[in-house]
Amino acid sequence: MTASQPKTMESVGKECTELKHQYEDCFNQWYTERYLKGDYTPQCQALFDKYRQCVMKTLQEKNLIGTIDAARKELGSDFKP
Amino acid sequence: MVKVYQHTFNYDHPWSLVTVAYWLRYPNPFASHVLSTDVIERTVDPTTGVLHTTRLILKRGLVPRWAQGLMKSNEAYILEESDIDPQTGTMVSVTRNITQKRVAYIEETQTLRRHPDDPERTQVKLEARFLSNLGWGLTSKIEAFCQRRFAKSSTRSRLGMSYILERLRETSKFPAAPWRPAPASSL
Repeated sequence: MTASQPKTMESVGKECTELKHQYEDCFNQWYTERYLKGDYTPQCQALFDKYRQCVMKTLQEKNLIGTIDAARKELGSDFKP
Repeated sequence: MVKVYQHTFNYDHPWSLVTVAYWLRYPNPFASHVLSTDVIERTVDPTTGVLHTTRLILKRGLVPRWAQGLMKSNEAYILEESDIDPQTGTMVSVTRNITQKRVAYIEETQTLRRHPDDPERTQVKLEARFLSNLGWGLTSKIEAFCQRRFAKSSTRSRLGMSYILERLRETSKFPAAPWRPAPASSL
């Protein structure tokens, strides 16, 4: 264990990290307080859309959309950016 | 040529807590090779409750140092697709690298299941498939490396999960409140 151990995980796009943490905080709360207690009504969608938009922009810049799409086709699941 | 490995063990924590730890498992002191994680897709079926998640993970150190010259970088993108079925108490997660596949393709399936005899425990099954298409006699060397690394990385991932599980238990708020990363001083 070193002092440099990060406390939080970054996003693939540095500028998306803050949005990622906002979304994940919301999700973790929903997951423990609602989902695991049997309430499956989704929440956090607005935060997710904002975060995902940022990530998709980064993935487009890194030319990764096609790679992800191809990988998912192998499994039969569709990826829609 | 495909090599397949498998092993099973238990976590001494209830399934629901283990699934929370699964979402929170990065960062941890045993995963310094993980550079970023992102949820790129997530859906929940309102009737069955099945939660489907796709995450993109960037990791360092896919191949041994001697093989790094064969690659532009030693980083690889990993796609993680998981399904949680809260009715049956099952989580299945499949991870595989989607870049650097020619050098080494590693697919891991992790199944987390509520222990049938003890609700305080969770059964874990890890399966991995390795495949390399390098040729030049390097394929078997890479596959042997992957085999050795599987034992090491599954230990590391288990230690990482146990570390997070202990932190979750310490907060003793679960499941009443969300978990927050502990301050560095208490690690």
